Amino acid sequence: MSVQDFLTLTGVSKVYRRGQSLLERLKKTDAGGTKAVSDVSLVVRHGETVGLVGESGCGKSTLARLVSGLMTPTSGEIVFRRDKAGRTPRLQMIFQDPYSSLNGRWTIEDIIAEPIRVHKLRKGRAAIRTRVDELLVQVGLSPADAEKYPQEFSGGQRQRICIARALAGEPEFLILDEPTSALDVSVQAQILNLLRDLQKNLHLTSLFITHNLSVVRIMADRIGVMYLGELVEEAPSEELFRRPRHPYTRLLIDAAPDMDTDDRSLHPIAGELPNPAFPPSGCRFHTRCPFAKDVCRSTVPPQKMTDAGGLYRCHFDLDLSNASTVSALAKVKTA
Amino acid sequence: MTAPLLDVRDLTVTINRDAGMVTALDKVSFYVNPGEVLGIVGESGAGKSITGAAIIDLLVPPLKRTGGTITLAGERLDTLSPKAMRAVRGGKIGFIFQDPMTSLNPVITIGRQLCDTIEAHLKIRGDRAKKKALEWIERVGLPNPDVQFKRYPHQLSGGMRQRIVIALALCANPALVIADEPTTALDVSVQAHILQLMRDLHRESKTSMMLITHDLGVIAKMADRVAVLYAGRVAEISPVGELFHAPKHPYTRGLIRATPMPLPDGNVRLDQIPGAMPGLGKTPPGCAFNPRCFKAEGDCRATIPPLTTRESAAFSCFHPLEEEVA
Repeated sequence: MSVQDFLTLTGVSKVYRRGQSLLERLKKTDAGGTKAVSDVSLVVRHGETVGLVGESGCGKSTLARLVSGLMTPTSGEIVFRRDKAGRTPRLQMIFQDPYSSLNGRWTIEDIIAEPIRVHKLRKGRAAIRTRVDELLVQVGLSPADAEKYPQEFSGGQRQRICIARALAGEPEFLILDEPTSALDVSVQAQILNLLRDLQKNLHLTSLFITHNLSVVRIMADRIGVMYLGELVEEAPSEELFRRPRHPYTRLLIDAAPDMDTDDRSLHPIAGELPNPAFPPSGCRFHTRCPFAKDVCRSTVPPQKMTDAGGLYRCHFDLDLSNASTVSALAKVKTA
Repeated sequence: MTAPLLDVRDLTVTINRDAGMVTALDKVSFYVNPGEVLGIVGESGAGKSITGAAIIDLLVPPLKRTGGTITLAGERLDTLSPKAMRAVRGGKIGFIFQDPMTSLNPVITIGRQLCDTIEAHLKIRGDRAKKKALEWIERVGLPNPDVQFKRYPHQLSGGMRQRIVIALALCANPALVIADEPTTALDVSVQAHILQLMRDLHRESKTSMMLITHDLGVIAKMADRVAVLYAGRVAEISPVGELFHAPKHPYTRGLIRATPMPLPDGNVRLDQIPGAMPGLGKTPPGCAFNPRCFKAEGDCRATIPPLTTRESAAFSCFHPLEEEVA
């Protein structure tokens, strides 16, 4: 592990086991279960924001919970860099829904002060209060808001409170799980700008999880694309959008409708997301891939590296930099 | 010009609270031409869904329609009896709801649900209704209609359920379909499928559509004309190309620029609108957008701007944006 590697994931998997019947337990058969995250290896360097994108059920939120320590992986290793005293970095998390992640019976001051008290970062009531005011100003609220309750705030303001609470713990590492998905566009833009400023000023290392490719493009230095629990591609942001290597990445980029009113064509991905409990054999994307050949159905694709420092799992070295070639192929496949 | 299919004038919806009346929808006027897709866009709380529900009289108390007229193909809907209104819902007007799980009955097979709707509105029964239901299951792109006919909603995926909801909305050959956030609960790859299906069926049937969504990308691909709602009022109604290339209302432009979209040079633009939309009953005097607007002047704070028509566009703004700044 090199010096600047902040967080290293090696072959991390998480299996959600299903409930077993008495007979099965007596026979001690393996229950199987759903492999929500499957053999993910990822490196986060110091000061970097890594984005994770994918559709629902691809395991991105499970991965966030594994990294935060809220769950333990079934296999694989998650290693944080330790300082000289052997401590792991302080970690905070920002959740998707600002309506359910704030305690409605606590004042804003109590909410933001809790991490300060728990980690003993400030001593004395006055010092804590000063810090709370400072944090409120930092996220664009006013110190007068400290006396209020979460119900008195709008969704965007609540998310600002969540951000202030996360910053109160003076984290070195921040996990953001769909932080703007519950917000309206005009408010989302405010929160994204705020997060971008904070990242720049506080030199935070973070893991940014979202299903929105445009959002992750703004926020992340490197992006990982997940499909059915697997990390199918990982590359620096611009590289990923300019020259995606995995067909799924290309199709995902094209599937989201943009605001171009002259070209009104839609680009659906053929088929539907398979049940994650029974992923397809070979390459997991072969059921929907316009380039799938026999080898994709039988053999798991190898992990390949790119010159730009990215990696992808595909049998072929496809040139996917041009959107039109793929959509033409995809149309043939659906028709 | 042909007469509009749906004409909504000064539609007003209020909420009756202990403290008094709160206006949720304030004199909203728009029309939908035959065969046209009218997009209705706005942020949550702008009154998009209330507009859709008010047209088919599905408002849940304390919401109440207190003014305005709704005309569908020359027939007044707002004065109809509840019984006559039942025949309109699902018959002349189909409705596609956001959440496909809650808009299907979980204990009745999808085939039965389709047959019920067809029998109620098309006056055909038995085998003929079943044949038609099977046709619709196939038309919305589900494999093996005979198998699907006997299945329950929980046996289908989200995308398949939404296809059935679309079949339910269209199976009685309605003149107008109101689609309220039809793809919001779905993943991007499935969303594109559903939008493609809606577009194909719309082209085949020539049905008019009201497409309610907060997603400007969906609007750009689907709508012919777009109404932008803000705080219960119409901010702007424009043809779709004009709306994106030369918006008239400062809010419309703010909304477009706040949506993260990659530019041709690879950068991503992200301009925020300061502040947030006023909550119910907290609408400021004058134009509802004035506290967040960079062009606001004295008149904006004093008087509510009326909906002004200029060429193909209509907007409620005293200081509309000029072409060159767009």
